Amino acid sequence: MNIFEDRKLMGLVFLFAIFLTGIIYYKAPLSGVIIMAGVIIFGSLSLFWKESHIKLAGLVLIVLLALSSIYLNGLKFGIDFVGGTRIPVMLDQAVDQTTMNEFVQTIKGRVSVLGLSEVKVRAIGDNQIYVEVPSSDASTIDFVENTLSQQGVYTGVVDGKIAVSGDHIYRTTISALSGSQLLQNGKGGVPDWGVAFSVDRQGAEQFADAAKGKQDYPVYMYLDRPTDAVLFMDRTTLKSTIPADSNEKEAMRSMRNALKLENSDIPVYISDDIQNDTNISAATNRTRAIISENTSAQVKEILKQRGFTLLELPDIKMMPEFQRTASQVLELNRLEAVGLLTAPILSAGITSGAPNSNFIITGGVQITDPTLKAQEAAARVKSIESILKGGALPVQISLGSRTIIPASLGSEFLKLSLITIAGSLVVIAVLIGVRYRNLAATMPIVLISMAELAILLSILGAFTIDLAAMAGIIAAIGVGVDAQIIITDELLKKDEHHTTREKIDMAFSIIKTNIVVAIFTMVPLLFSRLLSGLLLVEIIGFAESTILGAILGYLLTRPAYAAIVEGVLAREQKEKPS
Amino acid sequence: MGAGWGFYALSCYLPVLILMLPNIYRGNYKLLAIAPLLIIAVSLFFIPSIKMGVDFQGGTLITLSMKDSVDADQLQSQLAAEGVDATVQVFHTTMGYRTEIEVPQSKDLVKAEDLKTRFNALLPRVSQLEVAVYSNASYNDEYTQKKAELDNMSDQMFALAKTDRSRLNISGTNDLQKRFSEAYNDVYSNYQESVTGPLGRLVKYDSISIQIVSPVLSASFISSILIISVWAAILSGILVFLFFRTIVPSMAVLTGALCDVLIAMGAMGMFNIPLTLASFAALLMLVGFSLDTDILLTTRLVKRKGDPVENAFDAMKTGLTMSVAAVVSFGGLFILSVLTHIPTYYEISAVALAGLFGDMFATWGINAVMVLNYVEHRKVKQ
Repeated sequence: MNIFEDRKLMGLVFLFAIFLTGIIYYKAPLSGVIIMAGVIIFGSLSLFWKESHIKLAGLVLIVLLALSSIYLNGLKFGIDFVGGTRIPVMLDQAVDQTTMNEFVQTIKGRVSVLGLSEVKVRAIGDNQIYVEVPSSDASTIDFVENTLSQQGVYTGVVDGKIAVSGDHIYRTTISALSGSQLLQNGKGGVPDWGVAFSVDRQGAEQFADAAKGKQDYPVYMYLDRPTDAVLFMDRTTLKSTIPADSNEKEAMRSMRNALKLENSDIPVYISDDIQNDTNISAATNRTRAIISENTSAQVKEILKQRGFTLLELPDIKMMPEFQRTASQVLELNRLEAVGLLTAPILSAGITSGAPNSNFIITGGVQITDPTLKAQEAAARVKSIESILKGGALPVQISLGSRTIIPASLGSEFLKLSLITIAGSLVVIAVLIGVRYRNLAATMPIVLISMAELAILLSILGAFTIDLAAMAGIIAAIGVGVDAQIIITDELLKKDEHHTTREKIDMAFSIIKTNIVVAIFTMVPLLFSRLLSGLLLVEIIGFAESTILGAILGYLLTRPAYAAIVEGVLAREQKEKPS
Repeated sequence: MGAGWGFYALSCYLPVLILMLPNIYRGNYKLLAIAPLLIIAVSLFFIPSIKMGVDFQGGTLITLSMKDSVDADQLQSQLAAEGVDATVQVFHTTMGYRTEIEVPQSKDLVKAEDLKTRFNALLPRVSQLEVAVYSNASYNDEYTQKKAELDNMSDQMFALAKTDRSRLNISGTNDLQKRFSEAYNDVYSNYQESVTGPLGRLVKYDSISIQIVSPVLSASFISSILIISVWAAILSGILVFLFFRTIVPSMAVLTGALCDVLIAMGAMGMFNIPLTLASFAALLMLVGFSLDTDILLTTRLVKRKGDPVENAFDAMKTGLTMSVAAVVSFGGLFILSVLTHIPTYYEISAVALAGLFGDMFATWGINAVMVLNYVEHRKVKQ
């Protein structure tokens, strides 16, 4: 039969093409998910369509998929195999799962700023996080540790005076307002979101002093506001952000207003103009010039000559956001380059000059769609909360002592592990050959096991292969061979009452039971987080690889093996002179 | 490396041995249960002496890899002289030497952690009260009392951290919280320093790994694996009953698995394999593996026609071949663990090998006897 007329086979090839495109397009770790989906879909199809050649084709195509994923994306190994440094981060108190996930995301964000790819952040229990850096270079690690332990400093500025500073805020009092609290705080309209916090006595006095009579002024909320710095804006970037009803002059004025602070103003200039303005120079020998990384080399050179240290930021951080207050004044609302994250407007109630310890920041959202509006409001609340807390970390952290695994040691571990896998495979093949004295029927076991190995590696390697996962892969090979032994046993048995098909069915009834039970004994471990609230990161890889091995075996490799052995036996029988 | 190839070469002969086995189920097969029962009795004796690993016991495990060997006893007494109560073990691996130093849970650290938990629980109330007192004096009594409690905890923490509170010049609750956190970090790093400091002076190492498991973490590990074990037991129990739908064979299958786990745990006690997360994972996997052979046996005996004694013997030959294949894999892993001394590999492979060994006895000695007996009685009734 012409293979192009075989619709089922063509269907498989078509699916293969889709999966392959997915792997090329999405890369790791999604490629691992795609191969897993491939195993399940191809596997179900080959269980459903009983033809031998479909079963074999399914396996071959999945192996091709696995190999191309390994070729394109490579395999990711844990630091135990590639060397690197593990830094434990201890949380001040145990947190729930949602908070923990946020924590991990925030730390990932912080570390990714450093341009270190492949940094792994994962939760251990409910009060510890491991940060794993694939490097053992001391200065890199110091840098990571500093970034991790750094706590932001919050300052609220009203009209050039510090009104609130993080030191005076009771961290535990920072909370989002509930719906009914929002209703109570509505003056001429219910705000969409609100955050309450309390300050100590000094903080109350400081605020009263700074905010007195400043109704309708914004509180510029800074996180880590730079000192001794000058901001240089690119004209085109600035223009693109100015509202239609305004102009460069007004925008520059509002930026100067926002950036002033007793003794520590951040002056603003247009970088395109500095050639002509010879008065601009660095105040001290440590003055930083905050500029866009896309600023022309010429301008950068001039700034350096005038004594600045350059701090080059991506354009996205250099884009100011403006807002108009109720009295139609244009105010700067956000400029990440200087740590200005938001600027809520002071309401009349708190600008009387009387010390007050309890504060509420409220605001509106200009979105009409209710779902989007609620989402945006929640996001605003979260961001204000985290700014007030001096950064995005919900509880205080401390760093534990680092573990360093030299790269040479790791690669030696990996080499020996791979030798072990190969050695076990060869020995199992010989052993089964000796046991059944039929190499033609047993050599496929090696091929099938190698296919299994390639698929397992490609799926697990799209995430991370750590020590536990590697142990699981070695175990899966041994256990995987077992089912093939059952099949061989049934098929080679001198039993004239049953046909080959019946023998295979008998073997599979045992295998099916085995695999289901084997999976279900490991499943509680895989879902440890769901069952006990604790993800056992150290050994989850072991559960993953043994379960994957079992599923893979049931759906694809065992049926394929049975198909091969069946074919071999049929040929032998034909050749036998009867 | 030589040991590895030797093991592999030897295991190739095992199938020949399996082929030469006589049918052990002819005659009074009930006697076969004696050997496994003896092994289980011995296991039960050793189970209480299973050593808890650092995961479940808490404490500190320091692993050093180094080029030159050190004398374990000497290092241990040197550390003791520095005030570090530790157990030192030195292993030779293909990549130099590996030294494991186990330090029991530090009392200071346990206390500091307890203080921190209580402090953090009380802090929000004190902050609230402090603000409330500004405007309403009626909260004064409660505030003074709660604040005193908080101060008392802080004093204890400062004492642990050996910081002098009077020199800190603490201005308010906010400041207190900051100083308290700092003091906790000091206690923690003092502790680390007290262990790693002397080590740095005493030995030269290439890499160091320090695993500190706090009492809170070890407690949650323990509760977590208990829950997982219960779920695994319930799930596999239900599944087995669903497959066989008769009491005796199902019970036989589960008995086989239980005996297997008992034997593996006995081996852990006997050979000093610590119970860690890794060895726990291996035990779980053993349940699955042991059910493999049990189900093979029970299916062939209960669901198939023919002479049960022949069937049992056939199943045994298949099952032993399976076990040998698994022994090859885990044996490889075990040798690898001896060469590298990676604890995860060692714990998983050692437990698995012990369990596979136990499985051969439990399945073909106990489980087979139970099912054979059941099948023959069923025949007599018919």
